[in-house]
Amino acid sequence: MLEPIARAVQSNSAFRAICRPLSSAWVNLSGYRRYGMRYDDLLREETPIIQEAIARLNRDETDGRVYRQKRAFQLSLSHQELPLTQWTKPQDDYKYLQPLIEEVRLEHVERDAFNSMTFVKK
Amino acid sequence: MLSYRITMFQSKVAAKIVAPIASRAYASVASAPVVSTANGIKVAAVAGNSDSPLASVSLVINAGSRFETSESAGAAHYLKAFGFRNTQTRTSFRTVREAELNGATLTAETTRENITYTVQCFKEAVPYFVEVLGDIAAATKFAEHEFKDVAQLVGFESLSARSDPMSRALDGIHQAAFRSGLGNSLYALESSPVSSGDAVRQYAQSALAPGRIAIVATGVDAQELANLVSSSRLSSLVTPASALSSPAASFTGGVQQIYDSASPVSHYALAFASEPASAQSLAALLGAQSRIKWSSGVLPLAKLAATDGFGIAPFSFAYSDAGLVGVIVSAPNTRIKAAVEKVAATIQREIASASGEAIQRAAAAARVDVAESLATQQGQIHALSNIALGQTAATLESVDDAAAKLSSAAARVFKSKPVAVSIGLSQNTPYVDTLGF
Repeated sequence: MLEPIARAVQSNSAFRAICRPLSSAWVNLSGYRRYGMRYDDLLREETPIIQEAIARLNRDETDGRVYRQKRAFQLSLSHQELPLTQWTKPQDDYKYLQPLIEEVRLEHVERDAFNSMTFVKK
Repeated sequence: MLSYRITMFQSKVAAKIVAPIASRAYASVASAPVVSTANGIKVAAVAGNSDSPLASVSLVINAGSRFETSESAGAAHYLKAFGFRNTQTRTSFRTVREAELNGATLTAETTRENITYTVQCFKEAVPYFVEVLGDIAAATKFAEHEFKDVAQLVGFESLSARSDPMSRALDGIHQAAFRSGLGNSLYALESSPVSSGDAVRQYAQSALAPGRIAIVATGVDAQELANLVSSSRLSSLVTPASALSSPAASFTGGVQQIYDSASPVSHYALAFASEPASAQSLAALLGAQSRIKWSSGVLPLAKLAATDGFGIAPFSFAYSDAGLVGVIVSAPNTRIKAAVEKVAATIQREIASASGEAIQRAAAAARVDVAESLATQQGQIHALSNIALGQTAATLESVDDAAAKLSSAAARVFKSKPVAVSIGLSQNTPYVDTLGF
C-alpha cells in the first residue's frame, strides 16, 4: 500500500530537485567514488536475485565491475585513495545493475504468484 | 487368399474413382477467403467442425531458411526458437503458464519457406492468443540472457538433425539441388555467424514485414479473426527498411554430396526436380511405401525392397517455385551399391513409363494423403498458410489437377538427371552419373 506512494514521491521532479544538494553531499561524504567505485558495485551481492542479475550483465559491464573491485581492494590494502582526477565521475555512477535486479525480482514475484494461485469456481 | 485380393483390387480399379463427397472441412480450406488487413497482413480462417470446441491460430512468417544470407545463416532457426519468449507485455514464463491454464498447446516450427508459431486451444481462448501472437510479432525482446538458452536448444536440434541420416540426406539433397536460397540448411550449423540476440533481432526486423505475415486459424470465423488482428499489436507493424529476398530456385541435376559415416548402414538419397503441384503425386507413383501393412502389394519399388532386403522411403517437397521428389535407400554398406542401381533401373524402366493402373493407383494414394492431412488441425493450418501467402498448397483440387497430367509428368521427371546424397562408407558409394539417367 505504501509502495505506490513511495514511488510517486521518489519520482516527483520537484522533490528530487529539493533533495539533490543533500544527496550529492551525502554521496561525496560516503567516499566510495574516491576508490573508483560505483553505487551499484556496493550492493550486497550474496542473494539469488542479485546473482542472477549479475549473470545477465553484458561483457563490458562485467569486466568493468571486476576491474573496479580489484582496484578498490588494492587501494584499501595499501591505505590509499585514487588521485582526484580518477575519482568516479557522476555521469559514470549510473544504475547499471539496479534495473536488472528489479527485473529479476519481478520475475520471482510473478513465479511465486503463479505458484500460489487459488482457483475459484465460476 | 492372394488371388482374392487381386481380384478385389481389379474390380475396384475397373470402376472409376468415385467422385469426392463434398465435405465442409475439405471444401472450406481451398475456398477459404483470404482477407488483407489495413497494413497488409493476410488473414484466413476455416470455420471447421461446429461441434468441436477446439480452435487453432497460427502466426506464419515468410522468412524460412531460404531467405538467409551468409551474414544471417541459421537466423531462421534461431527466430523459430525465440517463439513465445519474453516480450514487452509478458514474460515467457507467464505465456507458458497461461497457456497451460487455458489448456493450450504452443508450437514453433520452421520450414525452408515459412516460420510458423501455432497455438491449439479452445475457441473461447482465441482472442487472448491472437493478442499473444501479436506481441510475439511486434514486441519480442530478444534478450541476451535468453539467447544463451535459445542457443543451447538450437545447438541440440542441429546436432540431432545432423546425427539423423534421413535429415542429413534431405538437407544435402537441397544443397546439391538448389545451392543457395532453397539450398540453405534448415538448421543453424556450426558455422552460423548468429551469436547474439541482436543478430536475431536484425533478421526478425526484416522478416516481420506486414506483407510477409499471415494469421491463419481453424475453428474461427474469418471476419472475427480479422477484427482481432486489427486490434492487436500486429496492426502496428510497418514495412521495414531492409527487405528479405531469395534467389529464384534453379535445379542443378547430376550433383552428388558424399558424407562419410561410421554406421554399418549406408543411406543414399536420390531426388528429381518436378513441378511443385505434382511432387506429392509423383512420390506416390514411385511406389516406395506400401499402404498395406506387412505387404508390398504390386508397388514396384516396395516389392524390390522387400525381396532384396533393403529399406526405401519416398519424399516430396513442394515450394512456391520448385519441387523435389525422390527416395532414400538404406542398406548395409556391402549392399548399398547394388540396391541403388536396382532402384535406379526400376525407376527408369517401369515408373517413368507408368500408365493406366499405376497412374490411377498413385492418384488415389495422393488424394487419400491430402484428404487425411486436411482432416487434421495441423494439416489445415499448413494448407491455409500456403494459400494465404500465395505458395503451393496441397488441396484436393490441386491433387486432382496433378492426376490429370501425371503420366506425362512422370515421363519427364523420372528421365531427367537427379541429384544424390550418400551417407556411409564413402568407398562403397554409387555415383549418380553411373546410374544411367
